[in-house]
Amino acid sequence: MSLFIQRMFDGLAEGSIYALLALALVVIFRSTGQLNFAQGEIGTLCAFFASTFTLAGWPVWLAFLVAMAIGFVVSALVERVVVRPIEDRNPGAVIVALIGVFLAVNQLTAMFWGVDARSLPSLFPTDADSFIRIGGAAIRIERLGIIGVLIVTVVLLFLLFNKTKIGLAMRAVANNQESSNLVGIRVGNILILGWGLAGAIGALAALMLAPSAGLTGTLMLGPFLLASVAAVLGGLDSPVGAVVGGLLIGLLKAFLIGYVDFLSDMLFPVILVLLLSVLLFRPAGLFGTEKVERV
Amino acid sequence: MSDRHHEGDDAIIDQKITEEIADAGVAGAMAPLTDEAFEASGGLPMRAPQYGGLHWLGRVLVFAVPLAYLLMRVLGVSGLVGDGWSNSGLGLLADAFIIAIAVMGVNLISGYTGQISLGHSAFFAIGAYTGIILTDGRVSTPFFGEDNIWNPGWTIPVAAALCFLVGCVVGLPALRLKGIYLALTTLVFVEAVRSTLKYEKFEDVTGGASGIKGDKYTPPEYVFDFFGIKLPTGLDGRGDLNQWMIYLSLALLLFIMLMVSGIMRSRVGRAMVATRDNELAAEVMGVNLSVIKTVTFGLSGAITGIGGALFGLKLGLVDADVPLFGLFGAITFLVAMVVGGAAQNWGPMVGAVFYVFVNEIARSIGEAPGDYESVFTITLIVLVVVVLIVVARYVMQHADDIRANVSNGAVKAALVVVGSIVVLVAAGVTLLGISDGGKLDGLGGVIFGVLLILFARFAPFGAVGTFRILRSRIVQIVPKPPAASRAAKAAAGSGEHSS
Repeated sequence: MSLFIQRMFDGLAEGSIYALLALALVVIFRSTGQLNFAQGEIGTLCAFFASTFTLAGWPVWLAFLVAMAIGFVVSALVERVVVRPIEDRNPGAVIVALIGVFLAVNQLTAMFWGVDARSLPSLFPTDADSFIRIGGAAIRIERLGIIGVLIVTVVLLFLLFNKTKIGLAMRAVANNQESSNLVGIRVGNILILGWGLAGAIGALAALMLAPSAGLTGTLMLGPFLLASVAAVLGGLDSPVGAVVGGLLIGLLKAFLIGYVDFLSDMLFPVILVLLLSVLLFRPAGLFGTEKVERV
Repeated sequence: MSDRHHEGDDAIIDQKITEEIADAGVAGAMAPLTDEAFEASGGLPMRAPQYGGLHWLGRVLVFAVPLAYLLMRVLGVSGLVGDGWSNSGLGLLADAFIIAIAVMGVNLISGYTGQISLGHSAFFAIGAYTGIILTDGRVSTPFFGEDNIWNPGWTIPVAAALCFLVGCVVGLPALRLKGIYLALTTLVFVEAVRSTLKYEKFEDVTGGASGIKGDKYTPPEYVFDFFGIKLPTGLDGRGDLNQWMIYLSLALLLFIMLMVSGIMRSRVGRAMVATRDNELAAEVMGVNLSVIKTVTFGLSGAITGIGGALFGLKLGLVDADVPLFGLFGAITFLVAMVVGGAAQNWGPMVGAVFYVFVNEIARSIGEAPGDYESVFTITLIVLVVVVLIVVARYVMQHADDIRANVSNGAVKAALVVVGSIVVLVAAGVTLLGISDGGKLDGLGGVIFGVLLILFARFAPFGAVGTFRILRSRIVQIVPKPPAASRAAKAAAGSGEHSS
């Protein structure tokens, strides 16, 4: 039983990181209908910045905040400089351009920070004795902290979207850009804000993952893939779906490795089957809204 | 009258170009719709008469000269064009042709049919593994091969067939998805194939995580032996395997190009283009979407699998961590397709050669920081591409100006060129400055990333497509209209043109 609880919390903590990244993807998809292929790499870039800042002697929380701000700016720039000029023309071209951003950012980090792993201090205590006992299992505080960060982010996003005027404008733009423009919302600024917000959340995911996984240029490759699967499973336009999908994938990974021995190295084939079967029966994902196209 | 699309903004012009090139892509060098033809058809688009292009002898010459040059460099016939390439240079050229074959497959599904696939590096991996497994005698094949060890050449069709099957099985469910859903699913497919190849339960066949080290492929002694006329494979001891792979992959590449251009002229090819342009309309017109998409996916997988088999045979070993078998392989193929030209038959070859050589130069800079000559070379290559895009766009938007008023257009075009050269020099100096730091590991990747962004924005039909548009706009000027139409135009248009 204690092993089960241990694995469950491992899965939830890892799932929280996927959920954060999936949330970032959903925020962008809702506003522009695009999957940001560069989301993970922008997060890695921010983690490298944070590592540089902490090495320079900054307190960890400050380094993380500045890194998230960098994520905001970079992501907003991608929207303004790369995506918007091609937006109306051809969805395929936007995918190609975003893959270009992915490649450029990925290789830029390799260029400036090298390929050796770096360390990044965690926001939470990581000593050998910093754990809490739940039902006989020793859960590390870092794990609980990551789950806590997800909860705080979700609550803040909920408040932003539902209780503020900017959130209302963002929902309006997600719903219908032309009408929002007509009622006086500056659609361009809202789009930049949405992308920036997603960039900051994506950076947060990388900053949570890097301390335990080790900071390398390929930090976010696997997590990005799993997070986008999570977002698609939950429904690309549903924040709730992103969180549920992310946690589900995290639990699936932990239990697959823990209990199904012969499949422990076969995570991606299992995910592929899962993804295809969900998409075939519910093309919009578990929580997504079915889109009716007028012809 | 002739200024009909002169005042249009970017969007309209680009749309027109898109239509034009979409036609050109399938129908070969089709003439642009002229104003006269447009009027004559009562405003309905019709196919203009074919008048352009070179005499067939000219075309043969255009291709024969570079091919002869290439052959001399590969064979090492010294004197006329300098000595033969070194062994590593030959290897690069073979790589370029092999990647071009793989990109032909991607082009079929992503270029012509418009379904962005990031999954083709999986077919590349399956092809490579098939080649090595069969030549290594790892599976029992009762009717073929001595001691289960196959002749390398016969593994290529097997790899193609296997990839076709896998492509159809995966494509059937995946291709009900569109756009980002498909791109993502195919990306997961790559990872799924990689972990299956690494899976310890299949270690007997696939070699597990450490892969397979096969025997070195011994190429035949003579490329051909025709009634005593012999062409030995490795002249003066320079890389006989690489030379052989160049012949083999170039021959297969040309064959596949011929095949694809045939497919695109057939009923199936038209259905593919129709699917890309408007799925719903295509379905209404009687195209069976799922059959077309599935067969296309299988076929494109088979073509990429041929490239993979060649790659495995050339390398002589496979393991699941080879970069071209994973995400970066998928991106490499996409880069080559987009740079060369999506939905252009010559695009993959141009794109792959560009990719392989620019990547190699970038890598050599990373190894020898401060090597100003190669930094300058790569800057030059990239900026020439950018300048070409800028000039091409300018010419397209002002085609009428340039035709009507050459001096005015020439001045503007010259301004653009001069401006680009200034940018070129500035960028070259900047790059030289960076190279002092000696950290240019990812330079090639950064360049290709930026190129992807630029091409997606400015030249969606890549180098070959842009060249075609330019040729149809500028070189193949409107033919002499029939006398009657000229007279009518003179009467109607004299007033308008005075302004």
